[in-house]
Amino acid sequence: MHDGSGRGEPTVPPAVDLSSCDHEPIHVPGAIQPHGLLFALAEGDLHTVSVSANLPDLVGIGLDAVVDRPIEATFDEVSQGRLRAVLRQTEGTAGNPIVVQFRAGGDHGLDGIVHRYGGLVLLELEPRGEESEGAHAFFRRTSGAIRRLQAARTLTDACAAAAREVRNITGFDRVKIYRFASDFSGEVIAESRDEGIESFMGLHFPPSDIPAQARALYTHNPIRMIPDIDYRPAPMVPDRHPATGLPIDLSFAVLRSVSPIHLEYMRNMGIRGTMSVSILRGDRLWGLIACHNRLPRHVGHDARQACEMVAQVLAWQIGVMEEEAVARHSLKGKAIQRRLLGDIEQLRDHRAGLIGNSEALLDLMGASGLCLYGRDAVTTIGRSPPVAAIERLVDWAIRADGAELFQTDRLQTLFPEAADYADVASGVLAVPLSRSPPRRVMLWFRPEVAQTVRWGGNPEKPVELGPNGGRLQPRKSFAAWTEESRGRAVPWQPHEIVAAVELRDLVIDVILRKAEELESVNTQLARSNEELESFAYVASHDLKEPLRHIEAFAGLLGETIRETGDARLGAMVGGIESSSRRLRNLINDLAEFSRLGRHAQPLAPAPLDDLVQEVMADLRQRIEESRATVRCDALPTVMCDRNQMRQVLQNLLSNALKYRHAARACDIRIYAPRPVDREHRDSGGDPLVRICVADNGIGFDPKYAEQVFEPFQRLHGPDEYEGSGIGLAICRKIIQRHGGTVGVETAPDQGATFWFTVPLPTGSDRTGPAGAE
Amino acid sequence: MSRDVAPPTVLVAEDHNHDKFILQEVFSRAGIRADLRFVSDGEQMLDYLYGRGPFGVPGAAPVPTLVLLDLNMPRLDGRKVIRILRADESLRHLPVIALSTSESPKHITEAYAIGINAYLVKPANIPDYVAKVSSLWQFWMSTASLPTVEVRP
Repeated sequence: MHDGSGRGEPTVPPAVDLSSCDHEPIHVPGAIQPHGLLFALAEGDLHTVSVSANLPDLVGIGLDAVVDRPIEATFDEVSQGRLRAVLRQTEGTAGNPIVVQFRAGGDHGLDGIVHRYGGLVLLELEPRGEESEGAHAFFRRTSGAIRRLQAARTLTDACAAAAREVRNITGFDRVKIYRFASDFSGEVIAESRDEGIESFMGLHFPPSDIPAQARALYTHNPIRMIPDIDYRPAPMVPDRHPATGLPIDLSFAVLRSVSPIHLEYMRNMGIRGTMSVSILRGDRLWGLIACHNRLPRHVGHDARQACEMVAQVLAWQIGVMEEEAVARHSLKGKAIQRRLLGDIEQLRDHRAGLIGNSEALLDLMGASGLCLYGRDAVTTIGRSPPVAAIERLVDWAIRADGAELFQTDRLQTLFPEAADYADVASGVLAVPLSRSPPRRVMLWFRPEVAQTVRWGGNPEKPVELGPNGGRLQPRKSFAAWTEESRGRAVPWQPHEIVAAVELRDLVIDVILRKAEELESVNTQLARSNEELESFAYVASHDLKEPLRHIEAFAGLLGETIRETGDARLGAMVGGIESSSRRLRNLINDLAEFSRLGRHAQPLAPAPLDDLVQEVMADLRQRIEESRATVRCDALPTVMCDRNQMRQVLQNLLSNALKYRHAARACDIRIYAPRPVDREHRDSGGDPLVRICVADNGIGFDPKYAEQVFEPFQRLHGPDEYEGSGIGLAICRKIIQRHGGTVGVETAPDQGATFWFTVPLPTGSDRTGPAGAE
Repeated sequence: MSRDVAPPTVLVAEDHNHDKFILQEVFSRAGIRADLRFVSDGEQMLDYLYGRGPFGVPGAAPVPTLVLLDLNMPRLDGRKVIRILRADESLRHLPVIALSTSESPKHITEAYAIGINAYLVKPANIPDYVAKVSSLWQFWMSTASLPTVEVRP
């Protein structure tokens, strides 16, 4: 699949453009470490294009005998066969290593590793180590290591076991497990070492210690070895491919000569022999198994393979443990969600449900505080910044149109005022609940963790400018340099963010369902209210007809009886007449009450002064009969249904006239307590104004102050005062429809002040066409 | 108008027997001499005016001077009857007074719009009723000049 020939391609990794990685082209040094040999062979006939210059030193064969000569001239026939067999393999490392024998001499073979890269077949040869062993012994050794590694139950144990096993296999003085953080700084999380060598356990190393191009190389070439950092590189001869003129690319050569910067770094660390094995999780470089020796150390191919296997098993172990942790966390999250949902259903309130489960929620999220933020209500659980600070944080972190979540583990570096509450919220995970206003956000907080980081050397000065050529020099000192990091929280893990999003979805579902329920209840209420009103209206209409006949017949009968002069019969008929008259009034009022909603007009601005004048004109005769004084202050223009507002004023004024005090002249005053008394509805709607109708009449016990607004509630017998007791109920219904309230302040014999509130026109109402006018 | 002249005929369309009884009593108490002829719905009323069916017999349906019409009647209701009368060349001059229990301004306006000559809300109280009918009679029989009624052949 890599080339069109369909032939196998051993050890050819996916193409990578390493030249783009960074400044120093460490993959094409044009030289190798001298403990082995490197042959660059042409594809096809496998003639030697280039060879390392140490060929004569290592095996006593002249370069001329090899370069540009056919393969048959260099290796014996068995070795040629092995080489071609490896090249026919499809799997990467299958077939490696092979034992290679020179045609020209040497009685023992060399270990050969073959890979293809840059259009060449690269054959690396190393002397066979004395530890080279049979397949059986190799299997026994590695399977033992793997078994011990798999017994580990925690990440720390697994890493410690891996370090031990690698040290057992290789005999290095120090083997450390080095884990990369998200910023590619590294930390030594496990170590196995000889007592005589310094411990690096727990030390951090800055990202620049293993630069990007090195990390890229480590991802594709999982094992590197420098048996002796003081080696003298063996250049390739020639150093360029004669056909292309390009340097011979040694990216995947084990023997590749390494950067002098790296060698100096090692030297400064007091190391002469090193090996490192990549710990790869998929394509991601999770960490390294780094091996150090105070003296030069060469590890044979078999042992290196064993180490690579240990690294793979460790990576697999890490994966399983991480996935297990995520799965456990997810299960825990699901259990909490179920309980939360149950509680919310029972309590019928998502905030109460969240508060009831606050401990479990904070534990699940590894958070110390939670805030449910809404424009109308802010609920905090656990330790949270002050509400005003949360408000500013939300404004800053959540864009008005955004539903994106926001997260950080170092809030104050992004949002400086957060330094004031770093102890509660250095880490913030803000999950918007809605895209559109009113904005709601769930915020999780994590406190500052005053972390003490021990650096392997001062990370602020990882490199120094060298004396010549401006080349970078690695730092000289690896003495632990201690730094306390402030304003940092434990970072949010991907599975924790997933849990937060799931909780967000749950709360949204609950809120939406509640809104739907409310809407459906409202619809039902409105419908049954409508049905009731329409029933009352029809009933009152149908009752009227027979009642009219009763009244008429009673009237006819009454006249007939009165002509006979029989007083007893006359009184009886009189009873029928007055009862049917009362019944008629009741039915009329009932009809009127039930008709209110059916003849409603939209609210429009109307000057109350005009309405009061109209009502007073209608009531002129009664006002005069009552010898009443009606004083009316200047009243504002309000939003109302003109006819209904007139009826309210008429009913209140009629009542004031009706319940006047026998002992004093009737005095009625209509006023707005302050010029414009702005009251606000709970929902934050339009401003309301209060209007009062005050009289000096008989008043009543304030304990009836609520009852008087109920339909057909009367405080007096029908013989004392006329009326069905519907007038105030009609007032209340009308005022409620306007979004206001009604009330009364009174005491027996002390007069009564009835008041109501009604919306004032807002700017848009005023500038629009004058409503009903 | 002398005493021996036959009393004017008033055609009353009224579906309810109670209302017929009450109206008769009210006319009587108001001292009105009138030939009250009752029909129970719109169809009967048209039969009367066109001399159809039982009203085909000579003398069974004297031409009315006034028509009193309940607007809410079964089958052919009062409003439709008025439209038919007003569309008929030979009947459109007839003074029609609507009787109703509704005080709704909307109903009253509608009734005038289709061509009634007066709208009368039936009072429940007998003295009021008597007073109303008296003044109605006074107006139509004395104050107003009525169209000349041609006797049907």
